[in-house]
Amino acid sequence: MPSLRHIAGGIRSLFRKKRAERELDEELRGFMDMAAEEGMKQGRSQKDALRAVRLERGSVDGAKEVVRAAGWESFLETFWQDLSYGIRMLRKSPGFTAVVILTLGLGIGANTAIFSVVDAVMLRPLPFQNPNQLVVVWHTPPPKSFPGVRRFVVSPANYIDWRRQNDVFTAMSAIGIHRANLTGMTQPESVQQRLVSYDFFSMLGVLPTAGRAFTSVDDQPGHGSVAILNWAFCQAHFGAPKNALRKTIQLNDRAYTIVGVMPPSFDFPFQAQLWTPLAWTDKEHAVRGDHNYIVIARLKSGVNEAKAQADMNTISRRLAQQYPTEDAGWGALVVPLRDLLAGSIGPALLVLFGAVGFVLLIACANVANLLLTKALGRDKEMAIRAALGASRRRISRQVLSETALVSIAGGVAALLLAHFVVAAIGSPIAGKLPLSIEIGLNGWVLAFTFAICVLTAVIAGVAPAWHLTNTNVNESLKQSSGKTSADSRGRRARNSLVVSEVALSLVLLVGAGLTIETLYLLRQVNPGIDPHNVLTVPLAISQKRYPAVSQQTNFFQLALEHIRALPGVIGAAAVDSLPLTGGSTQPVQVEGQPPEAMADQPEAAVRVISPGYFSAMHISLMQGRDFTDADKAGAEPVVLVSESFARRFWPHENPIGRHVGLTFSSGPPRTVIGVVGDVKLYGLDVTQSFQTVYSPLLQNSNNPVMTVVVRTTTPPSSLIPAITSAVHQVDPQVPVTGVLTMDDIVDQSLSPQQLNMTLLAIFAGLALLLATIGIYGVQAYAVRHRVREIGIRLALGAQRRDILRLIIGQGLFLTGVGICGGLVLAVGLTRLMASQLYGVTATDPLTLAAVVVVLTLVALAACYVPARRAMKVDPTVALRYE
Amino acid sequence: MTDKPGDLVQGTLDMLILKTLALEPTHGYGIAVRIEQMSKGVFRVNAGSLFVAIQRLQRDGLIGSEWKDTENSRRAKYYTLTERGRKRLDSEKRQWGRQAAAIARILEAS
Repeated sequence: MPSLRHIAGGIRSLFRKKRAERELDEELRGFMDMAAEEGMKQGRSQKDALRAVRLERGSVDGAKEVVRAAGWESFLETFWQDLSYGIRMLRKSPGFTAVVILTLGLGIGANTAIFSVVDAVMLRPLPFQNPNQLVVVWHTPPPKSFPGVRRFVVSPANYIDWRRQNDVFTAMSAIGIHRANLTGMTQPESVQQRLVSYDFFSMLGVLPTAGRAFTSVDDQPGHGSVAILNWAFCQAHFGAPKNALRKTIQLNDRAYTIVGVMPPSFDFPFQAQLWTPLAWTDKEHAVRGDHNYIVIARLKSGVNEAKAQADMNTISRRLAQQYPTEDAGWGALVVPLRDLLAGSIGPALLVLFGAVGFVLLIACANVANLLLTKALGRDKEMAIRAALGASRRRISRQVLSETALVSIAGGVAALLLAHFVVAAIGSPIAGKLPLSIEIGLNGWVLAFTFAICVLTAVIAGVAPAWHLTNTNVNESLKQSSGKTSADSRGRRARNSLVVSEVALSLVLLVGAGLTIETLYLLRQVNPGIDPHNVLTVPLAISQKRYPAVSQQTNFFQLALEHIRALPGVIGAAAVDSLPLTGGSTQPVQVEGQPPEAMADQPEAAVRVISPGYFSAMHISLMQGRDFTDADKAGAEPVVLVSESFARRFWPHENPIGRHVGLTFSSGPPRTVIGVVGDVKLYGLDVTQSFQTVYSPLLQNSNNPVMTVVVRTTTPPSSLIPAITSAVHQVDPQVPVTGVLTMDDIVDQSLSPQQLNMTLLAIFAGLALLLATIGIYGVQAYAVRHRVREIGIRLALGAQRRDILRLIIGQGLFLTGVGICGGLVLAVGLTRLMASQLYGVTATDPLTLAAVVVVLTLVALAACYVPARRAMKVDPTVALRYE
Repeated sequence: MTDKPGDLVQGTLDMLILKTLALEPTHGYGIAVRIEQMSKGVFRVNAGSLFVAIQRLQRDGLIGSEWKDTENSRRAKYYTLTERGRKRLDSEKRQWGRQAAAIARILEAS
């Protein structure tokens, strides 16, 4: 490493280049002259003396070159020379340059886009203090109640015991996720409310930017009428934070004083708009069997997850022993907080990352092929350079700087492309995550792009550079158009590049095909309802204004009456949770089963509905009858059960007349009056049927959050204004927002698969396009350089058809090899995406066959044009061709 | 080109140049002649290697230069040893001595 002085000397030399050169020249000539003088003193003639000096000491020019090369500044000069020469060469063939830059831009751009998502979701540290210490503590339910579920929410009593008994956390907080009615502002609104422990903010290390966080007093029973606002929410309703502090807002008709405003972009978790303290009453504290809260915690310094997990296991065992009714079989699971973020989309994201990696490789192979082809045309130029004394290193440097230029241009194009792609996919992804993260091009992403450009330059440049520095100078300088050894070496490189392109695109096509099939099959799944022409209207009323249960049910009945009277409405009903959106479950006590403790009871999904629900949703009533208005409080408590429920518990008996006890609801066991078809409650891809119990609205207490479903003759959205005014006729204070059609809800439930499929299909399409260009390019080049051979064949009696077959045959051979290799790769790799598939195995033979056929046809088409050109060769012209 | 037996390693040539200049400032050719003389003809330096080494030494501040007239009224660049160069020469001499002794011991060992 040259010293600083050394560098300074070089810089000085750069600036006074002419003078330095002149001085060196003068010095060297002086040196030579003096040496010659010595020679002459020894008796030689001047001519002989000079010659002797040149032989012994080297020539002036040679010495000048050596000295100049030794200085580091010459490296810069030659680099600049290479660069400007490279630019000139690329400008001479603009079409070629454009194709190369575009190819690289697409390949690198796709990588940058996906990497920015990976970076935002998986790599960037969470915006909290010491985020690595933050964990989520899930409940793990007993497998027989919730088969396959490992992450479940927590009950208040368990949370409190966990908090008191643990040794490994410095702080713990429970989070309740609610939607509340905000009134008292210009118009009623539904807001995302989070109930949290008082030390939630200090645990995360993010404190309000105005006002204060909660104190332990706020979290006591009877207190808790304080709220902290999200920045955006505050801006929208109050303007500057100081305008909001000490004001009150009405949430579900209870008054809360605003005590703080959070800094911008903080909305943890799940797009929170405001936070209030848990402030559980003593009764709520004691609830142990009903689980509703997410628990997060901070590890003590020096404690790792394994230790925390062990501690929680001990506590869980203890609790299961102490409270066998509720807690038998329940455990705990400690995972990093990032799990909330990356858990849902992590695997799919990694598959996409792999896919774009493939696309980049294919793009590099194409570019390498193009450069190699171009380089072959410059054989003579390189040979002359070598003959003039250029070292191998110098020649490869020249070629590599050209590929570097192209890669950088491609990288710039890529950044432009990625910017738009990220803008397009960023918001749909970010909207589903528990944390507001910005998916965009930040410093790390740019660094990644740069690294990829360098990698690409190296990969794409290796083949041409290697080839060019290995040219035999003599052979290249000889004028010949026949096959040279250089040509055949180039051919092997080109062919193997094409073969690998075909293999890689096959893998991508198979992956895309599998996701397409998955989505198709999912859309065919019968959800148990008819989602077309159904509008869903969430309505939440507050317990403050409707304290009595009868008042609540009255509201819904009146609202339904008004809605049913509207023209265009076939039927309307209410339900607490829509199909495909999840909902609550309860342990149930089934007649005919031995009585068990709560923790051992079977779990069933329980839905509260109004009469007319089944007909509105077109759920088939298989036995018995639907609810009527006669099934109200005071009458015999009744329920309907789903078909799978009846099949499970009363497989050979008539379920009508049997009894079911709902453990979380008070009252005697309910009588079964009917059986209905199964409905997909949790998602179309959940193949397990969840046993469901339907309970009438009029016989339940505490249901402020119902969704009204309306079946219409006309397109559902057109009725929104009418429905809104119908509801407001009953109570103008109830907000009517978030209205969606049932079809929308189905689409939403499939949106991860949809996004996955779209992206993979785009990448696979890209790969196919690039591979096609690759095959075409190779064949076109081959034909151009075999014109003479083709002429000879034709002259010797071959038919034009034979030529066609020859060219196409060779193209298909290459494709065939690529397909075989690709199939092997595909079978090995697609198992990595098995978790995202539905209804197809990772090695589905139909998909593989379809892809093989598509690739073969495409390859055929790509070979066709060069083959036709080969067919049209005129033998007399070809044989004269030089 | 120099003969193979007398090939000089980069660092060694630097040291010899410094030593030459320690005796008396001179120009490039003079350095070459003196090295040849002092080594009794074993080391014949060629122009390229010599001036590369001189450029390096000059950039590192070990020697200084100045255009002067020679005896034959020809202009030549005269090089002198700087203080830094002198110190470097001393330390290099000691190190070289140690290395040579070590190599000799190894070669003598049976």
